[in-house]
Formats: sequence, structure tokens, C-alpha cells
Amino acid sequence: MPKIQSPMARREFMAGMALLMTVAPSLVQAKIAPSPYQTLLREVAQLVIPRSTTPGAGEVGVGAFVLLALAHGLEGTKGFDHAAWLKSTLGPGFLAQPLPKRRAALAALDARAFAGDAAAKPWLAIKRLILLGYYTSETGGSKELRYEHVPGRWDPDLPLKPTDRAFSSDWSAVDFG
Amino acid sequence: MDFDAIVVGSGITGGWAAKELTEAGLKVLMIERGREIRHQQDYATEMKMPWDMPFRGHGDSDLYDREYAVQRLNRHFTEFTQPNFVNDAQNPYQTGEDTRFTWFRSYQLGGRSLTWGRQCYRWSDYDFGANARDGHGTDWPIRYVDIAPWYDKVESFIGVSGAKEGLKQLPDGQFQPPMGLNVVETHVRAEIAKRWPERCLTVGRTANMTEGKPEEGRAPCQYRSLCARGCSYGAYFSTQSSTLPAAMKTGNLTVITDAVVEALEYDPATKRVTGVRYIDAKKQRQTVRARIVFLNAGAFNSVHILLNSAPGGLANSSGTLGTHIMDHANTLSAAALMPGFETRTSFGNRPTGVVIPRYRNMDQMDGVGHTRGFSFQGGALQSTWTQGNRMEGFGAEYKDKLRHPGPWRMVLVGFADCVPRASNRLTLDRTKVDANGLPQLKIDFAFGKEEHAALAQAKAEAAEMLTAAGGKVIMGFDQPGPGGTAIHEMGGARMGHDPKTSVLNQWSQSHDIANLFVTDGAQMASSACQNPSLTYMALTARAAHAAVGMLREGRI
Repeated sequence: MPKIQSPMARREFMAGMALLMTVAPSLVQAKIAPSPYQTLLREVAQLVIPRSTTPGAGEVGVGAFVLLALAHGLEGTKGFDHAAWLKSTLGPGFLAQPLPKRRAALAALDARAFAGDAAAKPWLAIKRLILLGYYTSETGGSKELRYEHVPGRWDPDLPLKPTDRAFSSDWSAVDFG
Repeated sequence: MDFDAIVVGSGITGGWAAKELTEAGLKVLMIERGREIRHQQDYATEMKMPWDMPFRGHGDSDLYDREYAVQRLNRHFTEFTQPNFVNDAQNPYQTGEDTRFTWFRSYQLGGRSLTWGRQCYRWSDYDFGANARDGHGTDWPIRYVDIAPWYDKVESFIGVSGAKEGLKQLPDGQFQPPMGLNVVETHVRAEIAKRWPERCLTVGRTANMTEGKPEEGRAPCQYRSLCARGCSYGAYFSTQSSTLPAAMKTGNLTVITDAVVEALEYDPATKRVTGVRYIDAKKQRQTVRARIVFLNAGAFNSVHILLNSAPGGLANSSGTLGTHIMDHANTLSAAALMPGFETRTSFGNRPTGVVIPRYRNMDQMDGVGHTRGFSFQGGALQSTWTQGNRMEGFGAEYKDKLRHPGPWRMVLVGFADCVPRASNRLTLDRTKVDANGLPQLKIDFAFGKEEHAALAQAKAEAAEMLTAAGGKVIMGFDQPGPGGTAIHEMGGARMGHDPKTSVLNQWSQSHDIANLFVTDGAQMASSACQNPSLTYMALTARAAHAAVGMLREGRI
């Protein structure tokens, strides 16, 4: 008779996987919960992706995601405290300032970073993590943009209207676009 | 219990060996070193969205640095697919002082058939004749005519979609209808053909089906392009979707998982292998016996088993075991912005790109500094939100800009033929052992001037083609990535006419040991510049047929 001898009991394996999927995020969240930078990152994320017809990045938890990502070295952020750097770069009074001033301070930093100023470079990774956090959130990925997990067909050539939204599930575009 | 045949490995070729041998009536044992993964039931992340994952699909970078330092460099390695790749910390290997080699591995039932790139290209006589023509390596004992019917058989069974183009260097096969080119690719194809009639841009021939095989429980592609997570539709070829169910249906197959083969058992009196010795999940050594053995552990691991089976290596009277390993020299030759198509788009994720097959060094030797071929794979795509990483600004306007598809761009990735060299080789480092106490594999590998010359020409010509099609080239490279980058590592037990200079004969059969067959990438005597898996499968089916004939005639 055909058979497959697999020493790991299937039920155990599946239970283990299920446990991993549910436990891992909460462990991770717990570890970074006390960060003193939560409010700052939430605000900065919201400035980068503000509310429009859809919620902004700060509103959907991107600040917390950025802190999680920084704690685990995503986007090459290992070995440098990006959150502390951002706080000191934007200055101690940043959060108390009125919106136009907060916006101007961030715009100045963004411009310096894109002009190649090495002292402003850590901002680029933070900005990438804000985009990543937002456009892979359910709101950013499937409300602001479109998400089709199972497109079911390939249409190679269709008209595009200026109002058409991009797909967050276009994996080639995400990787290489 | 004794078997007629033992197949070591369950990946792309192991599945084929098991299918062919069981369908011929042999009682077969398949031994897989990794865990069991059942079709459909065990593709745990298949339907997960990015927001379902702790790190949104990008994974814990610190963990990957520590435990997946090599595997994380694989394009298909994500938080979703990580369980389908080995843990590098637990599966170490050594490299020579000057060697950079990224060895991508998947230790599980189905092996790399679950995570492969699925590109399926026939080799031509430009490839099988390459060594004889320029004197590198040793001549292949076969030509296209010998393998063509086996290509037919494999393509028909696994399901390959693609377009027939009538090219000598990339023979047509048994294709399901092709997936379409998008608007930019269609344009570039036409512009290239106008200026260079010998160059053909065509859609990638891929083991993703455009027509289902309901009788085998396989549906056509759903255009998710999430293949490496496992596909419950069975729309791409994997062991699980295709060869394993066929083999199981015969009632002749037994599969053992979590069993690491340490060595082949050999009887010097009869010059036959008698079976294999493996280490089971409880770290106990077990021996099983069979009349024939097929090694399908993946090129480098099949060589590892042979090197570890006898002092100086088993089936190594030639002294060439482990030598002449290859991988395609591979780099991003050109990326260009492609203006003029802003009002067109596409829908769905086509799980393949485009290919521009080799056009150099065919009937004229017109390569600059090299005697073989290079080809391109790539495609055109429309940017999405990740273009924001490169954009200055933020706020309402920025968000609105990212809301819509961005500019079209096109990339061409070059793959250069890798010359077989004796100095590129595998040995065992007996001073360093793995978790099973087995010696670690040591890889010595470097590309030479031929590969560098081919990639230099590929860079120049990729830019030329995209520019001619109206593109604005923004980058291009001519230096190959580390060995292993193409994930086409092959050779080490090459096929050849002469037992003094090769390990295997034209039937993928050991010159020294008549009941031993090695039918994975280890058997390759040259690399060509197209993806090799289809050729491995065809050679496996061919070898299985030969082996069954020899068994029936009492010759082995």
C-alpha cells in the first residue's frame, strides 16, 4: 500500500503553526509597547500619509509598526537608534508646535535627505517603513489602493483612467517598481 | 523491507524518478530529508494577506540575519515562504577563501519544486554541442534528438504555457496557450524584431498552466503569482501537484520524510550499490536495500552523498566527482523607464516574465571575449506604492500620487553560460560537521573571464535594445552576483563518453556502478544559458526508462 511515513504528527505540526501565527505578533508587540516614541512616530506617519478619503498612516497604527520594524532591523536599520535620532533631529518641541510648523520641519528634513545630506539619511529608512506599514495595512493596501488576492485572470492590456487606483497586490511592481 | 528502487530526494527530479519507476511497476522508496508538506492542506500562508503577518510579509530582519543569512537573499524568500527554505544556521556549508556562493535550499517534501522559478526551456544542439565546439569541459554523449521525445513527455505532463517561435536555439515544445505580453512588452518585441530580426522577445515559457487538468485535480493559473507559498489550485508544477499523486496512484510508492541520507551502501565484490544508509528523525541510522538507486538530492547534495560514501568518493574512478560545477552568471543588465504608455495597464499577476533567447555565438562566433551564449529574462511593469521610496515629499499630494499606477519600466536580467572548470568544485570538509555529524560541503567557485565578457556584452546590448524601443535606461550592471545567485547550480557528476573523464554515461548511469543513476543537476556537463530544470526532468524520465529496460533484461 502506498504510504507516507512522517514522524512529526500532523496535528502537532498544524497546532504548532497555528500557535506560532497567533503568539508571535503579540510577543513582539509586548516587547516594544513601552517605547517613548509612540506619539512621535504616530504623528510623523500621519504627516507623511494624511487622512484623505481614507484614513492616514498614523490612524491605522503605522507608528507602532515602524517601531516594531526598527526593533527588528527592517530596511537596514539595525545598529542605530532611528527613533531617538528622529526625536532629537526634529527637536524636543516638535509635537507641541502647530501643524504648519511640524510640516515645515519635516519638509526640511525630507529635502535634506533627498539632496544627499548624510546627516539626514536615517530619515529615508523611516520614510520607507512608514510607506511599508501603510500600504501593507488593510486600509492602505485594500482601501486606499486595490488588493486582489486571487485575480483569477490575466488581462495584458486594458485602458487606464487617471482616476484608477494602483494595486498593492501587484507583486512585481512592489518588488521592482 | 527491500525495494526495487530507492529515489533519494523528492524535488523536481526525485518526483519524476518516482513517477516513472512506479508507473513501470517497480516498488519504490522515496527518501526525503525534510518534513512532509501535503498538497493543499499544508500551504499555511497561501491565503494570508500582508496585514495578517507580524512583519507584513517582510519578516523579522534580525532573525533572518542570524538564521537565514543566505536564504533571505532569494527573491522568493519572504515571511510567507520562509518555512519553505532551510535555516542556514542549522544547515551550514563552507566556501573557499575567495569564493562567494549563495546556496539556496529547500529541505522538505517537494524540495525546490515548491519554490522554483518555473521557467521551462529546451536546450538545443548549440548547448549539447558547446563543449565539443570550444573545447571547454568534455563532450555531452547526447544531442537534442536523444532528449526531444522526453521533453515532449515532460512538458505535456507538467503543463507548460508558452508561445511557439520556431527558434533553433530555443526549440518549441508541447505548450499550452501562452500568457499575453503587456503593452510595453508587445511594443519592445516589435521594435527589437524590426532592427534585429534574429532577436526574439517572447513570453516566458512557464510551468504555470493556462488550461486545467481536471482529471489530475489541477486548475489553471489564478494569476496570484504567490507560487512559492504553495498553490492549492495545483496550477504550477510541483512534486505535490503533479508527480507525487501520479506515483502514489500506482500503489508502488513508499515515502519516508525527515530522513537524511548519509551514504550509499556499496558491495565491492559485485560493484553494485545495495541500498542507502540514512539518519532518521530520532538520529538513528537505518539501512534500506534496493536493486537500483536514483540520486535526486539536488546537484550539490547528490555529490555530497557520493563523496561521503567511500574514501575518495564513490563512483569516482575518473577523479572528476565534485569538479566542474557551474551556475549561470547573472545580473540586472538594464532597467529603463518606458514612456508613452500612460493610458494602458494590465490586470492580474502574470507568474512569468519575458525572455530574449540567446542570439550570439550561434552560426557565427560573434561574442566579444566569450564563445557561448547569454539570454535575458525580465519584463515590463507599472510602478505602484514602492515608487514612493524614491520620491521626495509627503502629505496629501504625495498620497494622491501613490494612489495611482506610476510610470512603466522594463528590466532585462542577463544570464550567461558558465564555462565548466575543474577548479570550480565541491569537496567535503571533514573538520566541520553538521547537526547530524556529517561533514560539511565545501564549495570553491569563481566566474572567469568568459562570463564577465558575456555579461559586459549583455549590458551593452540590453541598453541598446531598450533605447531603440524608446526607453530611457536608468541603470545596468555587468558584474555577476555571487555563484548560486541564478539558483542553477549544477555539475559535479558530469555525463560523458569516457569513464576516465566523466562520472555518468549517456543514461545518467554511473560508469563505475551499473545500478546507480544520478539524474538531477549534478549530471550536467555544460550549463547553457537557459533554465535547466526542464532538461533535468527530461533526462530523469529518459534514465528511468533506460533503467527499467536494463532491469528487465537482467543487465543490472
